[in-house]
Amino acid sequence: MAEEKKNRHYLTGKEIRAIAKENNKIIRVLEKKKKRKAVESEFVTEMKDPANILEVDDLHSYFYTDQGVVKAVNGVSFEIPQGATVGVVGESGCGKSVTSMSIMRLLQGPHGQIYSGSIRFKSYDFKRDEKGKTIPVWDDDAYGNPQYEQVTDKKGKEKLDKAGNPVLTRKQKRDQYGTLQFEMEEKVFDIAEMPIKEMYRLRGRQIAMIFQEPMTSLNPVFTIGNQLDEVTLLHFPGSTKEDAKRRSIEMLNLVGIAMPERVYKSYPHELSGGMRQRVMISMALAGDPRLIIADEPTTALDVTIQAQILDLLRDLKERINGSILLITHDLGIIAEMADFVVVMYAGRIIEKGTASEIFHHPMHPYTIGLQKSKPTMDSGSEALFNIPGNVPNPIDMPDYCYFRERCSKCVKACFGDYPPMVQVSPTHWVACHLYADKEKTE
Amino acid sequence: MMDEENKILNSQSETDSLNVIGEPEKAPNERVENENEAPKPKKFAFLKKFSPIKKESKKPALTPEQIALIEEENQACIKSGNFETFNDDVEAAKEQRERDRIAAEDAMRPADPDALLEVRHLKMYFPLKKSITGKVTLALRAVDDVSFKLKPGETLGIVGESGCGKTTMGRAVLKLYQPTGGQVFFGGKDIAKYKPSQMRPLRTQMQIIFQDPYSSLPPRSTVGNILAEPVNVHKIVPKDEVKDYVLNVMDQCGLRDYYFDRYPHEFSGGQRQRICIARALSVNPKLVVCDEPVSALDVSIQAQIINLLRRLQEQMGLTYMFISHDLSVVKHISDRIGVMYLGSMVEFGDKHTIFSNPMHPYTKALFSAVPNPNPDVKMDRIVLKGDIPSPANPPKGCKFHTRCPKAMEICKHVAPQYREYEPGHFVACHCYPQEEA
Repeated sequence: MAEEKKNRHYLTGKEIRAIAKENNKIIRVLEKKKKRKAVESEFVTEMKDPANILEVDDLHSYFYTDQGVVKAVNGVSFEIPQGATVGVVGESGCGKSVTSMSIMRLLQGPHGQIYSGSIRFKSYDFKRDEKGKTIPVWDDDAYGNPQYEQVTDKKGKEKLDKAGNPVLTRKQKRDQYGTLQFEMEEKVFDIAEMPIKEMYRLRGRQIAMIFQEPMTSLNPVFTIGNQLDEVTLLHFPGSTKEDAKRRSIEMLNLVGIAMPERVYKSYPHELSGGMRQRVMISMALAGDPRLIIADEPTTALDVTIQAQILDLLRDLKERINGSILLITHDLGIIAEMADFVVVMYAGRIIEKGTASEIFHHPMHPYTIGLQKSKPTMDSGSEALFNIPGNVPNPIDMPDYCYFRERCSKCVKACFGDYPPMVQVSPTHWVACHLYADKEKTE
Repeated sequence: MMDEENKILNSQSETDSLNVIGEPEKAPNERVENENEAPKPKKFAFLKKFSPIKKESKKPALTPEQIALIEEENQACIKSGNFETFNDDVEAAKEQRERDRIAAEDAMRPADPDALLEVRHLKMYFPLKKSITGKVTLALRAVDDVSFKLKPGETLGIVGESGCGKTTMGRAVLKLYQPTGGQVFFGGKDIAKYKPSQMRPLRTQMQIIFQDPYSSLPPRSTVGNILAEPVNVHKIVPKDEVKDYVLNVMDQCGLRDYYFDRYPHEFSGGQRQRICIARALSVNPKLVVCDEPVSALDVSIQAQIINLLRRLQEQMGLTYMFISHDLSVVKHISDRIGVMYLGSMVEFGDKHTIFSNPMHPYTKALFSAVPNPNPDVKMDRIVLKGDIPSPANPPKGCKFHTRCPKAMEICKHVAPQYREYEPGHFVACHCYPQEEA
């Protein structure tokens, strides 16, 4: 019976119904958890290492499809230190995009769900009082006396009270872009535990995302300015349209757009691919995020434009003191941009370490093969090394090493369980049986 | 405006009728004149706003003597290096004349017997605007005056940014587009003017592999049918041997025999690209145009496909025209490399000369922009400013001057000549001497 099942490449209706029933059961529980009302204490935690900004711990993200459960992310753990760039590299379908989507909680529900694990993120958010209101920072003079300013209405005229005197309010501090300042505090959230409604506080404001295709991620029926202003208006309380416009144009300037006023008024189709990607980056920066997730930011662009965008990203990271999670399949980009590298294969991390460790001393056969199979500008024209075969079917993953069928260095242990992560140096981990005895513990 | 015109028309028709009544003998001649001259242009006056003829007529046409004079002045400008009084239009017209003259001269020469494919001054324009008479007034010059030769068994790599005309050139060479001008010699015959029916027997000798294996396979045919169709159409083998023949081709391309009855959606990208390659090779072609065959694939699959293409080339003696934007792949597979920018070839030459000694600033920038998978090497890359300009309205002079880090004053006005600096190494740039030494 089992053998018969292996040879078929389709499912019977009976099997599909059984799978659907099973899926529904789990999805209902997970959806309930996603939509629940929760007090903040439920999802506020502590970081393991206070120097990190993001810690992903044993994350499992599954897709419940009619053919079975696709374990797109299957036990992924890594961390992003403050101010560092972490590159995630792997082939298509290895789960790198799903990891980033899980961090943003943007998995397409109800089929895509975070099954278990935790994503701890250190946010730098507005401090709120007991009523949930933000606390402004007043712009007092040197002696601590409050300063007052006139209130203007929407048309910019001075507001007057019934007696005809101008209405005064206490002056609030503004940052360099003219955005109102509020008291801030650092909090650690477990993103995997958060109800979906609470995510609005983080998305775009604390964690921003740059998507792969700038044409499909910009709305074609609104102007660039309209879409950029939205970020400021949503995330900075008390900002007016003028504030938003000023900030948007500042952001367009920051990403090196020559005529920000004109781009502000134009529609996405009027811009070229490189310009659109710059707009996307400026939109990500408008929320003043601490972490930028760049999901294949240059795949749809030309080589020369790619060079421009990579230069820009590196320059910006220093300027805003943020961290970048860079997801790409191009090893060259990773080598240039990243401080730490995570190599994924079929939903699991197979190797992680610093960039020089991964590129100079790659350990996992897959990493080695990946580096050899890419022709470089220095290499000769001999036949390329190629990894035979394909990525295994994501449904019904085997319980042994996923890379066994394609691996040229199989040992006896490979026919056993999935290899655990082995620490070979303080920063270098690898999941392969070849290095089981080389473990170094501190 | 319309009211005024109407009034004038009315008044004129009134005078006409008066004339008819008042002076009957003179009337017929005058009336005819009036009808022909006065009212009619008024009636269609609004059309003039859109017609390009009016604009030209506004500017007094230059007499040949004047043009010769301006050309002399231009030459003086180039020599002195002062371009304030330079006339760009006359220079452009002169360059166009020069190009046409060279093209006409070249057209008389017979084809090179050594080359499998020889392309001379190929032009592919797409009409954007037409006048009422059907004349093309604005054209997108996707490929503008490209020439090269390709010997049998060689691989020509074409690199360039998107929108530079690489794909259009590949298709124009295969006559999937009808070229606007120029000659394409395939096996010694000029196929540029061939009709589709004349092309059909040649199709067995030239094939194309498309970029996206997901959209270039018919979803409703099995792999066997996809591969058997060209064999049946061109009657490569007798009908009863078709299946064996197809299975043999599949085996060569690394496809298992039980894939014969499966549909394209059951395969991954790499396998589908193998099917596309098998389809192209099933008619035993001599020339295969590979239009970005590995761009849509993963790195590890890319290596498989590239190795397959190279192995097939050795086995079957194929000639490839390999179009790609990935320089490292092109470097790996090609013998000769052509660098295109905005419809023109800016540099062409042997792989080793181009990579060891890139001459054109665009080629240098393109090579330096490729990311290097070595974290210790910090590249001093040349980052080009801005985007590729629109091919419908290319810049005057050298097309690259708007982004060139080495742009000089002359580049803005005079197009550089496409000249051979080393044997087989062609460059079009003002950085190098333009006249014969």
